[in-house]
Amino acid sequence: MENHESTGRRSFLRAAVLGAAALALSGRDLLAAQGASAAHGGPGDDMPDAAKKVLREHFGARPIKDGHVSLDLPEVAPDSREVPIFIETDLPMDPDHYVKAIHLVVDHNPDIYVAGFELTPALGKASIDTRIKMRRSSQVRAIVETNRGELWWAHKLVYTTLNGCV
Amino acid sequence: MTPVAGPLTGDARILLPPGIQKDSVIYVRALVAHPMYTGFSRDENGALIPEYYIKTVEITYGGRRVARFTWTSGISRDPYVAFPLRAPHEGPLHIAWTDTKGRVYTQTAAIAFGG
Repeated sequence: MENHESTGRRSFLRAAVLGAAALALSGRDLLAAQGASAAHGGPGDDMPDAAKKVLREHFGARPIKDGHVSLDLPEVAPDSREVPIFIETDLPMDPDHYVKAIHLVVDHNPDIYVAGFELTPALGKASIDTRIKMRRSSQVRAIVETNRGELWWAHKLVYTTLNGCV
Repeated sequence: MTPVAGPLTGDARILLPPGIQKDSVIYVRALVAHPMYTGFSRDENGALIPEYYIKTVEITYGGRRVARFTWTSGISRDPYVAFPLRAPHEGPLHIAWTDTKGRVYTQTAAIAFGG
């Protein structure tokens, strides 16, 4: 009985937090969300110039295509100091065709290029599970690079409630 | 709110699943205790805490490098990472985390079949 009660309270608290997060979204964030859903294709979508620059520095003019990457992230991050992220791809990990690296980019973070994970076929599969910090609501992008130079990505808008740059 | 780096900094762990089968792909989980300061947070006196974080992670299996990660302070405090690994042979899995002060934290786990 006691157990049941505490579970109920916790889910109520969770609902309250999510509600507050929804209220805290500014008009600008909502516009960004619309832009994101409308934008598909290359890096020329709703990205801020600073993020585009980071992509150019890392990948030059190579096109980044949608597909082959699945990105698991919360829609609303309750704690922006620890946002769980899971990146997975169905691309092969064969000696002659494999995922050479997974790159992680957060458009509105102070360090836009958050991390690079260099992989080898010895891993057998390509996925990364980790936790990142976010300064504010932002597109989070996972870019998968193969040894043949192909670039695939997935991106997702994540809403945050607090600055996680600790 | 953020405690200063304590004696636990650098405490590193590798978690492997039980009963590893030859040639299977397992998921390796790795943790290291580190404050991962961005350079934007302040201590209790209001002074900025300098940037200090794990910069590279090197993973070798049986003496051969299988992965290498490059991080910034955008990775959360006490960094956690999980990645796949094919296990064709028994041998040591070694992980070395290097931070921006050049300190290296290491941990080794034995990949062994059965269990």
